[in-house]
Amino acid sequence: MKLDTSGFESTAPLFGASSELRDGFSNAPSFDLPVTADFDEFQKEAKATLKHAKGTTTLAFIFKEGVMVAADSRASMGGYISSQSVKKIIEINPYMLGTMAGGAADCQFWHRNLGIKCRLHELANKRRISVTGASKLLANILYSYRGMGLSVGTMIAGWDETGPGLYYVDSEGGRLKGTRFSVGSGSPYAYGVLDSGYQFDMSVDEAAELARRAIYHATFRDAASGGVASVYYVGPNGWKKLSGDDVGELHYKYYPVMPSTVEQEMVEVAGQ
Amino acid sequence: MSISEYNGSALVAMVGKNCFAIASDRRLGVQLQTIATDFQRIYKIHDRLLVGLAGLATDAQTLYQRLVFRHKLYQLREERDMKPETFASLVSALLYEKRFGPYFCQPVIAGLSDEDKPFICTMDSIGAKELAKDFVVAGTASESLYGACEAMFKPDMEPEELFETVSQALLASVDRDCLSGWGGHVYIVTPTEIKERILKGRMD
Amino acid sequence: MANSAIDVPPRGGFSFDLCRRNEMLTKKGVNPPSFRKTGTTIVGLIFQDGVILGADTRATEGPIVCDKNCEKIHYMAPNIYCCGAGTAADTEAVTDMVSSQLQLHRYHTGRESRVVTALTLLKKHLFNYQGYVQAALVLGGVDCTGPHLHTIYPHGSTDTLPFATMGSGSLAAMAIFESKYKEGLTRDEGIQLVVEAICSGIFNDLGSGSNVDVCVITKGHKEYLRNHLLPNPRTFVSSKGYSFAKKTEVLLTKITPLKEKVEVIEGGDAMEE
Repeated sequence: MKLDTSGFESTAPLFGASSELRDGFSNAPSFDLPVTADFDEFQKEAKATLKHAKGTTTLAFIFKEGVMVAADSRASMGGYISSQSVKKIIEINPYMLGTMAGGAADCQFWHRNLGIKCRLHELANKRRISVTGASKLLANILYSYRGMGLSVGTMIAGWDETGPGLYYVDSEGGRLKGTRFSVGSGSPYAYGVLDSGYQFDMSVDEAAELARRAIYHATFRDAASGGVASVYYVGPNGWKKLSGDDVGELHYKYYPVMPSTVEQEMVEVAGQ
Repeated sequence: MSISEYNGSALVAMVGKNCFAIASDRRLGVQLQTIATDFQRIYKIHDRLLVGLAGLATDAQTLYQRLVFRHKLYQLREERDMKPETFASLVSALLYEKRFGPYFCQPVIAGLSDEDKPFICTMDSIGAKELAKDFVVAGTASESLYGACEAMFKPDMEPEELFETVSQALLASVDRDCLSGWGGHVYIVTPTEIKERILKGRMD
Repeated sequence: MANSAIDVPPRGGFSFDLCRRNEMLTKKGVNPPSFRKTGTTIVGLIFQDGVILGADTRATEGPIVCDKNCEKIHYMAPNIYCCGAGTAADTEAVTDMVSSQLQLHRYHTGRESRVVTALTLLKKHLFNYQGYVQAALVLGGVDCTGPHLHTIYPHGSTDTLPFATMGSGSLAAMAIFESKYKEGLTRDEGIQLVVEAICSGIFNDLGSGSNVDVCVITKGHKEYLRNHLLPNPRTFVSSKGYSFAKKTEVLLTKITPLKEKVEVIEGGDAMEE
C-alpha cells in the first residue's frame, strides 16, 4: 500500500510531463505503509516511540518592523536532558524561518523538504514563494499523513511581497494565520509574558527583549524547556540572528543575587 | 510516567573525614510545571541526624511527620537522641510495614554517631536498606548522580573539599535532569557545627 | 483506620491503608516505582563437616547497580545463616523477623536453634503471603542433628538438598555444582567450589556481580568470610582524585554551632537527703 500525495503537488511541471531530475525533489515524498494486521495499534506504538524533543518553547510574533522568532534549545527524553544546544529555529531560506516543536526528526525532515519546494517554486516562477504559499505546502503534506504518527508543531515566519507573514502549522493538519503564536510545552508561560508585553509599535530591540523574556520565563517554569534562548528577527532584508543567551545566566541578569559567599549568618543555638 | 517522577527530586549524601554532607535540589514541580524553587527536601531529625526524602512530596511530608513523631516518642522514653543506625532501622520498618501499599519515597539518611563517625544510608520505597561507605543517591537525577559521584568521590575529605565535591556532583547531575534542579541545598555536618548552604544553579 | 490519629508504634504486620490510593494511581496511568532487587547468585553445599554458603554482592534496581557490595548472607542464629534472593526488602525483613523469633525461642528453651525450625518459620510466612513476599532463600546450618541445607521458594515450597543454588544466576552456578560436586568434600575444596559457582554467576549472569561472600558453618563453629574474593576491583581510580577549577557559587551560608555534649558524671554528688 502506498499513499498517493500527488494531488497536493503545487509546482507546475517545468520540463514537460516527466523528468527524472525533477521527480526526486518536487514530488511529495511518499512512504510505504507498513504491512500489519492491526494498523491502529502500530500507529499507537509508532507515536509512543517518537518521544524525543517533546518539551519545547517556541514563539513568534509580528510587529511594526517585521517578525520576531525565538526558541529555547533543550531536547529531552522523558526526564533526561539529551541536549542543551538544539537548533530549534530552522532556516528555510534567507527570508523564511520555521520553528521546531514535537518530533525533532519530523520537523527537521519536513522543513528541509519545504526548503526544497520553496526553492523550486522560486526557479519555476522567478519570484520568491509567499509565506502563505509555503505554509500551505507544508500543511498539505502534513495533512496527507494525518493520523499516521507524525508529530510536528511549527510556525512559518517570513517576509514576502505582502510584508511580514506568520503561520502556525501542525501535524493534525491545522494551519492558522496570526500575529502571535507560541508552541510547545512551555507555551502557556510564554503566552503569559508575550500577551502582557506585546505592542505592535515596538522597536526591534524592544521586540527582541520581549521574545527573550518570554522564552526565559517559559524555561524557568517548564521543566522540559531550557538551554539557550535564541532570538531571530525577520525584516525586509531577510532574517538575522539577534542573540543567543544562556538562560542559566539570563536568570541572574533578570534577578541579580548578592554574591554572599563571605557573608555568614551566625545562629545562636536554641536554648542557650 | 512513574509516580516517583511526579514531583522530581535529587538527593545525595557523601561521607568525609569525621563529617558528612547531604544535598538536595530545590525544585518542587507537578510533572513538567515548576511550582516552587525553594522547596525543603532535607529535614533535621536532631542536631547530628538529617534525612532527605525523594519521591512523591505528599508522601515525603507525611512520612517525615511520622518519623518526627516516632523520634520524639523515643526521646521521651530514652532521654537521648536516636543513633543514625537505629533511625535507619526505624525508617526501614515504617516503610516495610506498607510493603503492599508503599509510600512513594526514597529516603536518604545521614548522621554522625556519638563517636563522630559518619553514617549514610538509603532505601527504596519499601525499606530495603543500602548502607554505603562512600556516597548514596536518590531521586529522578539518581542515574546522573551515580556517575558524577562515582567519578568525583575520594575518601577522607575535609569538610570544605567535601562541600565542593558534593555541590559539583549535584549541580552537574541536575543539569541533565528535567525534573530537578533550580539551585541546590547543601548541609555539611561536622562534630562542632552544621553548615547549611544554598547553591547558585541553573534555573531552567 | 479509626484510631490512625494515635499512631502507636509497636503493632506489627503489614498495613494496607495506602493500597486503595496506590491502586487508583496505577489505574490513572502513573506507575509505582520499581523496588530494589538482589538479582542474585546464591549457593550452598554440604561438605564433610558442615555447610558452606556463598553469595555475590550486587544489588540492582532495574538496569542500575545500586549497591556494589551488599550483604546477602543473613544471620539467622549463631549456627544458622541464610542467603536471600529476590526483592531486597523482603529477604531482609523475612530473615530479620525469623531470626528474632529464633532468638526468643532460644531464650525460652535454652537450646541451640535447629535448622528445621528456621525452615518451618520461613516457609510458613512465605506460604501465608502466597508468593507476594518475594524472597527466594538458601538456608544452611549445623545443629544437633547434623548439617542441613534447604532452599525455600517465594511461594513457600522447600527442598532439602546436598547442594543448592538460587537467584537469577542459579543456572550458571548449578552448572558448576552439577559437574564438580561430590560427597565428602574437604573445607578448602568446598570453599573453592562455592567460589567457582558464585564466580560463574558473577561473570555469566548480568544480575549478579562484584564480590564473593562465603560463610562456613561447622559443628559449634562458623566463619563468615565477607568479601572472600574480589574478582572485580575498580579499574578507573585516579590517585589524584578530582579537583575543581572554579569554586561553587554560594548564595547563602548559615552556620549552626552544635551544643557541647553534656557528660553525665555518674556517682558524682550524692543527692541531698
